[in-house]
Amino acid sequence: MGNIYFQLTEAFNARQITVALASGQAVVYYRIAIMSKDGDWIVRETPEACEHVLAELEKRGATYRPSPPLDVRWLSGGWSSHFEFVDERVRRVRCDFMSRPPRVDLATVERLFANADPGSRLLAIDLESLILMKRSQRAKDYAVIGELASRLPPEREIDLTTDPDRVLELAPQHGQASSRPAVRAALSGAGRRTVVLALAEETDELQEDDRRRLARYEAAAREYLAACRRAAIARMPLREAHGRLRELADRLLPAELPPGGIDHANA
Amino acid sequence: MRMLSEDDLNLEDMSAEELDAAWDLWFDVAQTTNAADPPYNHGVFADVLPAAPWSQAEANSEPTRQSVVDSR
Repeated sequence: MGNIYFQLTEAFNARQITVALASGQAVVYYRIAIMSKDGDWIVRETPEACEHVLAELEKRGATYRPSPPLDVRWLSGGWSSHFEFVDERVRRVRCDFMSRPPRVDLATVERLFANADPGSRLLAIDLESLILMKRSQRAKDYAVIGELASRLPPEREIDLTTDPDRVLELAPQHGQASSRPAVRAALSGAGRRTVVLALAEETDELQEDDRRRLARYEAAAREYLAACRRAAIARMPLREAHGRLRELADRLLPAELPPGGIDHANA
Repeated sequence: MRMLSEDDLNLEDMSAEELDAAWDLWFDVAQTTNAADPPYNHGVFADVLPAAPWSQAEANSEPTRQSVVDSR
């Protein structure tokens, strides 16, 4: 009994820190809310880390879902790899891996692993990076961001919160240097409604940014995913699928997208 | 302004064991919607893959457990 995604994190990190819990399960880790049936991890961008994760997944009878291979060549281009298995209680467990979480810079990811406590196998992404990852197209993520931000010191919370009341409360003491429109509105005395509208506009811009980011990946992945579908990847044993996906990706999936702002994708 | 409900936010007072139990129960219940779940909730593949064919394919080919990790 317990959170299988926490248990998997400990298994992936048993010999050395290899992954960090991210996205929905990191929200559970921080005790914000119980959400997400899937597990997302940031994996170290090394062949050894990929191999170790594949070995652990293979032990559990996992199969690939149509997605790029778990290989540093594609991970470093912002792609993510997706797997699935059925646990001993016949529950579907879905596992997704990326090494370049969207909107989080590489130095932050490197610091996450460099500063990880080697004595603790349950590692999760830091709060601020989790907030950046959550700036997705999904409306529900912005409520979660508000709660995550409330765990930060006030001078950081004001830059990241999606809660208009917190913006109004924090602005006089911590917002003087902020260029964030909602904070500027709070400081101008324009009233709560103006702050609410500024936050809504900001959310819409973030959602549009994410939509544009993913559109570039969608276009680049179309031919590759059609080939995955024809190859019935999900029915193959893991290692066979891995080899086949690398073959297909070699031919059909650009590791790096053409210039245009990859911006730390997680596709 | 509370952005999530009290039910969502009462996790902080739980012990680790209580949180584990609550999550485990939630995950059990959440399995009931597996067949109706989209193949991907977010990311590139959510839009590239049409939902219906993949959902149907998945419903027709529930993965079987090939091995269970030694939990000792």
